[in-house]
Amino acid sequence: MSVRIGVEATGGEAAGPAPPSLLRRLTARPELGPFLLLVAELAVFGAINPQFLSPQNIGNVLTFTVELGLIALPMTLLMTSGEFDLSVGSVFGFSAVLMWTLFNTEVLSLPAAFLVALLVAAAIGLANGLFVTKLKIPSFLVTLGMLLVVRGTALFITDGFPQRTWKSSGEWIATVLVGDFYIGPLRVYMSLFWFVLAALLLGYVLTQTKAGNWIQASGGNPAAARARGVDVERTKIALFMLTSVMAALAGIISSIRTSAANPNSGMGYELEVIAMVVIGGTALMGGRGTIIGTVLGVFILRTMRNGIVLIGVPGLAYNIFIGAIILGMMSLHSWLDRRHQAGG
Amino acid sequence: MAEPLVRMERISKSYGSVQALKDVTFTVAEREIVGLLGDNGAGKSTLIKILSGAVPASSGEIWFRGRKLEIRGTQDAIAAGIETIYQDSALVPQLSIARNLFLGREPLTGPAFLNRMDKATMNRVAGELLARVGITKRIPPTTPISSLSGGERQSVAIARAMYFDSDLIILDEPTNNLGVAETQGVLRFVRNARDSGHSCIFIAHNIHHVFQVVDRIVVLRRGEVVADAIDPKRTSIEEVERVITGLDEEAAA
Repeated sequence: MSVRIGVEATGGEAAGPAPPSLLRRLTARPELGPFLLLVAELAVFGAINPQFLSPQNIGNVLTFTVELGLIALPMTLLMTSGEFDLSVGSVFGFSAVLMWTLFNTEVLSLPAAFLVALLVAAAIGLANGLFVTKLKIPSFLVTLGMLLVVRGTALFITDGFPQRTWKSSGEWIATVLVGDFYIGPLRVYMSLFWFVLAALLLGYVLTQTKAGNWIQASGGNPAAARARGVDVERTKIALFMLTSVMAALAGIISSIRTSAANPNSGMGYELEVIAMVVIGGTALMGGRGTIIGTVLGVFILRTMRNGIVLIGVPGLAYNIFIGAIILGMMSLHSWLDRRHQAGG
Repeated sequence: MAEPLVRMERISKSYGSVQALKDVTFTVAEREIVGLLGDNGAGKSTLIKILSGAVPASSGEIWFRGRKLEIRGTQDAIAAGIETIYQDSALVPQLSIARNLFLGREPLTGPAFLNRMDKATMNRVAGELLARVGITKRIPPTTPISSLSGGERQSVAIARAMYFDSDLIILDEPTNNLGVAETQGVLRFVRNARDSGHSCIFIAHNIHHVFQVVDRIVVLRRGEVVADAIDPKRTSIEEVERVITGLDEEAAA
């Protein structure tokens, strides 16, 4: 490739504006607002109840947070591509039920049942993707339908009863997925390691790779992306599959840790996960996404849930705070967007 | 007569019961700038979309450098050396200038499995190209497209066609919404493109812009070619306008 055509400058403005200052670049980042909010939460809750920052409480918060985080990370990529998935909560519940049913009925070993559960989740994601891209049905409707199908299947095959999971002890796969160890007084599960790994990997994909460029283009202007030869449909299908598989992984990890595979578990997680992603600064309509923002969003919501209980606010009031955070953060992101586009 | 660079032969296109193109034959020679004119709904955009792979023709053949070309999608057209600059620039507003420039053909660095974009090269080339297409204002190549003016966006689209060195560059309304200096930049680009061996199809509502750069004018009316060898040096703008609107036929009748 070479530049062959020479074109002279047309004589526009000779001197341009100075490069933006550090402060200005910082305020243009969508992650700044969520970061400050998380710091504020930690400061306020820590000041009111010192137990909040105890190793035991931090360990507790981390344990469940990373399980939801494992779904929020691929959801960030999916939403950046202009789609979202409401079926993740039901896949979370269904996959664990499927794996334990296959294992308990002695049809398969635990590692084989684990693999089958992930493959079925991938097939669910593939179905979501095909409905959205080939039949041009909005992802809201497709994944809402899939949510009901998957949840219904989980309830049907279990008669609504939880599956036994106590036989997992001693299985190497259970140790790899969710084995625990201590760092000083802090009890940490292996799921934290998987979450960090997934965040690093997907952050790299979104910001550094050609695939990341295609994901952002698919959400930002699909027609333009197609005109440049980007396979928008395949990109979206791959992301639906990834999201579903990660939701299954999170559900399986959770079932092993809690020793329960309940067909109803994961109910409502889809909205909490989407809230985590948008709070972090990813655009609901696609084109812009941030993994760092999502990690912050995940911690903002889970810290809030934990913190308000520790400072004595009734747990039932949790949704009021979450709703307020979503509205506040959305206003901030929208204001930053307009300011940025106006060049201000 | 020498083989034309591109020859679209007996192209027809129907959208349901609406016939957008009827047996259109259209050629562009090597190093030729063809102005494609016609009123709204004349079929210009449909013809261009077929050539750029955005929509398939209902019937007809496309020959490129004497070889029959099967265009099943935009990727086929791009691979053959046909670059289209659309009216709306076809850019992704959230992506940076450099990322837009290389979208679909991102250079990679490091081992292939890492799929890692060569951002240093992308930013360096984007910076150089921006200066060449006339954006002399200091705009970093990492700036998102959404922060640019209409003219600057068009310049980015042009920079893309320049860099990938396409044989045929289709400019669909490239001077729309542009200021005087930016329009002159586009016209200069088209002339330079021809001088360095490229061919162009130039579509514009402003006939004055077309007259400034093209070698030949083709006029479409209601999906058919009504004139395909108008020499802008020997024809007045008013005469071309009469062909576009059909007043010439009414006068002859």
